[in-house]
Amino acid sequence: MKATTSGTPASSLLIGIATLGFIGVTASYFVSGPERFWANWILWFLFLFTLALGCLFLVAIEHLVSARWSVPIRRLPERLSTLLLPVVPIGLIALGAVPVLYPGAKPEALHNKLLAGKALWLGLPFFSARTVICLVLCLLALAVLVKGSLRQDQSKDPQFNVRARKFAPLFMAIFAVVITVLAFDWISGLTPEWYSDIFGVYLFAGGFLAALAATVLALGHLQSQGRLSAVRRDHRFNLGAFLFAFTVFWSYIGFAQYMLMWYANLPDEVVWYQVRLQGGWHGVTLALAILHFVVPFFALVTRDAKGDPRRLQWVAILMLGAHALDLYWLVFPVLGKGVLFSWPEVSFGIFFIAGALLWVRRSLTWGEDMPVGDPFLPKGLEFHL
Amino acid sequence: MNKAFAVLGLFDTADALMQAIPKVKAQKLGRLETYTPYPIHGMDEALELRQSPLGGMVLVMGVIGALTALGFQYWISAVDYPIVTGGKAPWSWEAFIPIMFEVTVLFATFTAGLGMLLLLNKLPFFGHPVLGSKAIKAITRDRFALAVEADLDLDAPAARAALQAAGAVEIEVLEAPEQAPFLTSDFILRTLGGIFAACLVSGFVMFWAIKLFPVLPPMSHMQDQPRLSSQQASRFFKDGRGMRMPVLGTVARGYLPNATGTQEEAASMPNPLPRTPDVFAEGKAAFTNRCSVCHGAIGNGIGSLTAAYGAKAANLQAQQFRDYPDGKIYWVIVNGKNAMPGHAADLDETQRWAVVHYVRALQRAQNAKDEDLR
Repeated sequence: MKATTSGTPASSLLIGIATLGFIGVTASYFVSGPERFWANWILWFLFLFTLALGCLFLVAIEHLVSARWSVPIRRLPERLSTLLLPVVPIGLIALGAVPVLYPGAKPEALHNKLLAGKALWLGLPFFSARTVICLVLCLLALAVLVKGSLRQDQSKDPQFNVRARKFAPLFMAIFAVVITVLAFDWISGLTPEWYSDIFGVYLFAGGFLAALAATVLALGHLQSQGRLSAVRRDHRFNLGAFLFAFTVFWSYIGFAQYMLMWYANLPDEVVWYQVRLQGGWHGVTLALAILHFVVPFFALVTRDAKGDPRRLQWVAILMLGAHALDLYWLVFPVLGKGVLFSWPEVSFGIFFIAGALLWVRRSLTWGEDMPVGDPFLPKGLEFHL
Repeated sequence: MNKAFAVLGLFDTADALMQAIPKVKAQKLGRLETYTPYPIHGMDEALELRQSPLGGMVLVMGVIGALTALGFQYWISAVDYPIVTGGKAPWSWEAFIPIMFEVTVLFATFTAGLGMLLLLNKLPFFGHPVLGSKAIKAITRDRFALAVEADLDLDAPAARAALQAAGAVEIEVLEAPEQAPFLTSDFILRTLGGIFAACLVSGFVMFWAIKLFPVLPPMSHMQDQPRLSSQQASRFFKDGRGMRMPVLGTVARGYLPNATGTQEEAASMPNPLPRTPDVFAEGKAAFTNRCSVCHGAIGNGIGSLTAAYGAKAANLQAQQFRDYPDGKIYWVIVNGKNAMPGHAADLDETQRWAVVHYVRALQRAQNAKDEDLR
């Protein structure tokens, strides 16, 4: 069952919105200055990268543990993880932000004793090399896990499952390195004198949550069109439980990081939080805790809620918004201009969201809706709680 | 024979069982229950079981646990015994979160475990009648049982007929179990006896384990401290004493030097205390307690011991002592004179000088001049 999406009113509307956003994005570079432009750019780069990488992680962990229940819905994270393809040019462009926003890559860094010692690591050449290597590794994983799965639709070759299961542990190692480098370089790097060991895990928690939310949304979208009707409440319940568990995991990591720094109260560590607990940022921090934890926790805590499609839809939308807010909270305080939210942020938001939706709409036509070549599909369809 | 508790109908397949459920259910004979060798998907829906209340109980108890931990820590840290730790305010919610989390989990898991066992599984309901049925072996192997159960008034013939009509291949009627009341004295005694025996055994085992295996020391870390108590010997120091002398030629902060020389040398020491009502009150108290027994209430050398034992303490009203400088009186209080012992151990620095002031006041009172009366 394939649907063509090009030329429908919805995609025309999305193209219109994206064009409008693109005009705003271009204008913001000249009107509100390069710093704010690049801060917005890396926010959306990280949003899409962590989302796509989280989807790939969801696919890989299914192969790793030979999960059967998720086979019928596996095509959704597979399709969503193809967002890695547009992320490559976005990431390469984002390297333009490095000399502007990252103190470690600026020439003044050589006068700072702490930064001069890390000059090789923080400097633009090695920074770029790491990002390029990360992107290449992700594309490689995408080729093995997703392209192979799409090919299996026709070939029905069960050998793919064997290959994927062997590749999955390797992917876990790659994933751990990529997400940590991503977090340390692109977010911690904004304040290179500050460090937190758990930061990669924190970004993983947020990104994986966003990936689950996107999967839930895509599932709801397809089911509203009458596709994927074989996916039942039991499968949805598992996705809901996953979503619920990772809101708790994200809060656990976030609070553990905060509490240790708050307790030790070391000047070089605590300054990162001090910025985020003063002025308007205090409100953003509270909003993040409420929207990223309190609301989804109580919205999903009951058994009925986890399988309820309507409930899952709005929680998923909330979680995607909360992930964007999380990245905004991570990136924007370094500009030192208070809580910036105006037309440049809106333009960036609608440009990247509309663009991503256009990509996802196209990607939802790739391959069959379920991995029909997977020998475990019947078992997955039989899944009962 | 007891009243019938349940009527079991056995089926050969799970499908036959599932199809029989709505037919029997429609008759409304009693509570329906199934006993099967393995879980069957869709059984909850077929039996129309209510969703377990356990989730709600766990949520409520979890929230109560969080609030309890918060309240405890708030009371201890911020109200009853506020101590500033690590420069944090006594009321620092961040520090309370880990314990709130733990207590939430504790309350929630206990509620889940005990709620399941006691409320929902109806413990202590030790032997379910089905376990005593003839069909139990088949049920755990390859038969699927549908039971019509009721605590009171089970219409056994009707249930039998309904199960047969629904296709049961075999029927068995189960008697009601002996319903033992929950908290019998026997039950309580056995529980307490069990706890007592467990304490006894574990105490005995621990006692000998510690004796025989010194790798398991008892928790006595607070007693075994490496510091030295006062008067304790120590091989660490050359002189073998644990207590150290003050460094030669130094005076501890807040202490005046004692009158260590001769009485003549002490004569020049000035009284450091001002003449205030507080000082006189302190001097009077010390004099009354320590001096008046011998020297008398007004210092005339006739104290209560004079009559009883013939002690002849110095008459402080005598001209000789009225002419003494303060330092000499102080020296005598510290070192004693003739039969009088030194009071250095009884009176501290301030008290001694306060006594000197008070003695001066006594002398002045007994030898008042005309201008004192104006």
